[in-house]
Parts: sequence; structure tokens; C-alpha cells
Amino acid sequence: MVEITEHTRNVLLEVAKKRKIYVEGNFLKLLKAPKGDKEFEEYLNLCKEKDKTTRKKRLEVTKQVQAQNKELVAKQEETDALMEELQEALEAAKSAEWEAEKLRDEAEKGKEKALEDLDLMQKRSQFELIGTIVRVALVIIIGVGIITTIMYGIALLSGQDTQIIGSTWSNMFGILLTNAFSIVGTIMGVKYASEKDS
Amino acid sequence: MLIDDENLFHLVFEDACSILDMALSFEALDSSDEADAKFKAWFPDDPDHERPECVFVDLNIIGSSFDGIEMIRKINYEYGDGVVIGIISSSEDEAEIQKAKAVGAQFWIIKSDDIEPRLEEFMEDYDAYKSKTAPFKIYR
Repeated sequence: MVEITEHTRNVLLEVAKKRKIYVEGNFLKLLKAPKGDKEFEEYLNLCKEKDKTTRKKRLEVTKQVQAQNKELVAKQEETDALMEELQEALEAAKSAEWEAEKLRDEAEKGKEKALEDLDLMQKRSQFELIGTIVRVALVIIIGVGIITTIMYGIALLSGQDTQIIGSTWSNMFGILLTNAFSIVGTIMGVKYASEKDS
Repeated sequence: MLIDDENLFHLVFEDACSILDMALSFEALDSSDEADAKFKAWFPDDPDHERPECVFVDLNIIGSSFDGIEMIRKINYEYGDGVVIGIISSSEDEAEIQKAKAVGAQFWIIKSDDIEPRLEEFMEDYDAYKSKTAPFKIYR
């Protein structure tokens, strides 16, 4: 314990009385009033009481701050967890979007392929039709040519007048050949145009 | 002395100690490395050299090279075993408590919002801790 001199005692009491300033902190616990000095003893008790009240107040505030801090940390953790979940959801959405995009591309490719197949089928059926027409036309041309030739042959063999049938045969043959070449030319033209389009 | 990484708890502990008249001087450190350096200086061969009388160590000291249990082991086995020492932590992990006991911790105080009643109880047992006659105790 620290004994206080008369001068220090008086100064401390005067400062407390006039300026309301009191000794505080752990040093206060070392101070001891001289024996029988009731006034200074009361002063020390008041100082201790004030110091204790201040400490209690500070302790309460610190505890409140500590509790708020804990709450904030918990909330921060909660927010972080939510942010993480949000990030995961965002990534999942992006992944789903990418998947959808991929599927859309595939669907478009499928559509294009189906259209190509359809076009090919149409062209094939067109060629088949043209082929049939050509075959029929050729059969008719060859048939007419053969019949006319036979008739001309019979007329020659039977000694009939062949002037008319002869000129008719050569005209018809010329027309038939011209038509045949015209058909072949048209087919080649159609085929060339189709190949160019595709 | 208190070794704890939570600065707010330093204030709480200091004020609680002051209100309960537990200590006249108090020092708070926030890392076990800082404490380690101080203990190295405090424990030369001279047993009368200045050193803390009682040390409270937190279990998990964030930002430190080692935890409270290792700190107690170092103080007890490397620096002279001359202080009342124990853990002050919010953890109640039985395995950790047993580890602390094994390295020479004398007590384990559960840290909570209302620390004063536990410190009061600790004060009552303090003399027995000082004379190393008290058994290991958990203040819940």
C-alpha cells in the first residue's frame, strides 16, 4: 500500500472538490488513507465507487459490442453462404443456357439436314419423272419411226408410188430426230440447272 | 496475463478482473508468438526474475504459429513451469480438455458472455492452484 503525504492528500481533495477529478485505475487500489483521516477515507471510497461504476459501464458496452460483433460475423457467414449458393445457381443457369444453345444448334443442324434430305427426295422424284417421260417419249419416237419405216418398206416392195410416203418418211424422221435431240437437250439443261442450285 | 486473439475480450477480461479485484496489473497479448518471445525473456535461470503470476490462454489463437495447448506445454516444459496456467476458451471439446490437462493446464474456463461468476469461482480456488494442490477443474 502507498501512504499519502499531507500535501498530496490536500491537493487530491481540492482537485476533487473544485474540478470533480478523481483518482482512477488500479493505482487507486494501492492508496491508503492515514489512520483516523475520515475525510480522505471517504474520498478514496468515492474514487473506488466511481472507478467501479465506470468499469461496469465499459464492461457492459464492451459485451454489447462483442455480442453485436458475433451477430455480424454470423450474418456475414450467412451472407457468404447465400452468395456461394447464388454463384452456384448462376453457374448452373449458365451451364443450362449453354446446354440449351447446344441443343438449339443440334436442332438447327437436324432441320437443315431434313430440308436437304427433302430437297434430295424432291429432286430424285423429279429425275424419276423426267426419266419416265424420256423413256415414254423415246418409245413413241422409236415406235413411230419403226412403223413409218415398215410402211415405207411395204410400199417399196409392193411397187406402189412412194413419192408421198418417201417425203413424209424423211420429214417425219427429221422431225422425230429433232424432237429427240430437243428432249435430250432439255433433260441435260434441267439436270445442269438442278446441280447448280444444290 | 491473457493470451487471446479477440481484442474485445481483452477489455472484457480486464474490466471483469478489475471489478472483482483479481489483479493489480494486467497484460493482454493477441498472439502466442508474442507470448513465446516474452516468456523466453521472462524465464532465465534466476527464479526471482519478473514473470506473470497467472496466465490465461485461449485455445485457438488465430494468426499464431501454435495454439493454446502448445503454449502451455512450452511454458511448463521449456520455460520453467513457474506460473498458474490454464485455458480460457468457448470450446468444451473433451479431447482438447484432456490434451490441455496432459500438458499441465490447471484449469479450463468456458468463455461466455457472463464471465464474472466463473472468475469469482476461480479466485476462490486460486491459492490452491498457486500451491499446486488443486486438481484440474473445468469452470462451466
